[in-house]
Amino acid sequence: MTQAQPVQATLHILNKSPNHPRFATCLAALHEGDTLALTENAVLALADSNTGLPRNCVALSTDIQARGLAVSTDVQAISYQDLVRLTAEHSRTVSW
Amino acid sequence: MTTLIVIDQAPYGSWAGREALDMVFSLAAFDQPASLLFTGAGVNWLRKSQDASGIGQKTVEKNLSAAPVFGVEQILAEQSACERYRLGEQDRLDGVELIPSVRDTLDRFEHIVFAG
Amino acid sequence: MSSGLSYTLVITGAPWSSQAPQTALAFAQELISAGHKIDRVFLYGEGVHLASALSTPPSDEPDWPGRWVDFLAESQTPGIACIASALRRGIVDANEQDRYELGANNLRQPYQIAGLGEWVEGNLKSDRVIYFHGSH
Repeated sequence: MTQAQPVQATLHILNKSPNHPRFATCLAALHEGDTLALTENAVLALADSNTGLPRNCVALSTDIQARGLAVSTDVQAISYQDLVRLTAEHSRTVSW
Repeated sequence: MTTLIVIDQAPYGSWAGREALDMVFSLAAFDQPASLLFTGAGVNWLRKSQDASGIGQKTVEKNLSAAPVFGVEQILAEQSACERYRLGEQDRLDGVELIPSVRDTLDRFEHIVFAG
Repeated sequence: MSSGLSYTLVITGAPWSSQAPQTALAFAQELISAGHKIDRVFLYGEGVHLASALSTPPSDEPDWPGRWVDFLAESQTPGIACIASALRRGIVDANEQDRYELGANNLRQPYQIAGLGEWVEGNLKSDRVIYFHGSH
């Protein structure tokens, strides 16, 4: 009897603000073990009381800074260099 | 190497859906396995009897009906979005397969692509 | 490890309508620093505006089209504007100017105009394909 293979971890790069329809679709598509990278307007999720973010969530520090947001303890602030590394490490990336 | 092109934007008000269709047809033209998924407001591309001549645009009903002939493997639509936009079976183009879970569908493809 | 990968970057967001060109450029620069290769930068949809030779931002704002062509030249990365997206949006090279008997051409060097086949090739041959979309 064969077991279904777990889906390989996917990197999701999301740049849409939390009220954009694609934001919710992205979050609903995440698997345990996937990484969510928030860029551009998506970093507003850090200030959004309506949004629950998954565990493996990172956000671009330059975009956090641009919007005057406080860095969250739950969401790691990353650099572009880190984002490059994440795309190299994941064999599958979805740009939402 | 399978690709899923996702269309989540409504027809006519923007060109992202058209440019997504160009992508899927290009993949098919190069014999690459490709499918289409319509989600959210994007399911409205799939409604029958559209007539966009009054706004100076072409409908895509013929393109989508011909898609399998050109090598597009599947045309999928998010079930909950079809319900929201009152797109029952009789209102939808033929050959559209409803999917209950976007997440499960995405799992089946190596590349997931939005046109914009 | 994961070093020396090849990337295709697709930009679908325009400068001054989105952050896509800025995010993509910062990403592209770090890609090169990390030792990866960029097979091509493909402009699609609204992204073709990045290839306009005529865009003239105020001197106190970043010149995204200018910064991008500097990067393409320094890193010797091919920049492609998709022909269907470009023509309808008024981004044309000398060939298309002749073909359609237009009054001018405005494709910024070193971009080339080509079809979606370039994107399909990126899908097939590059290790990674990353998209930079607008935010609407």
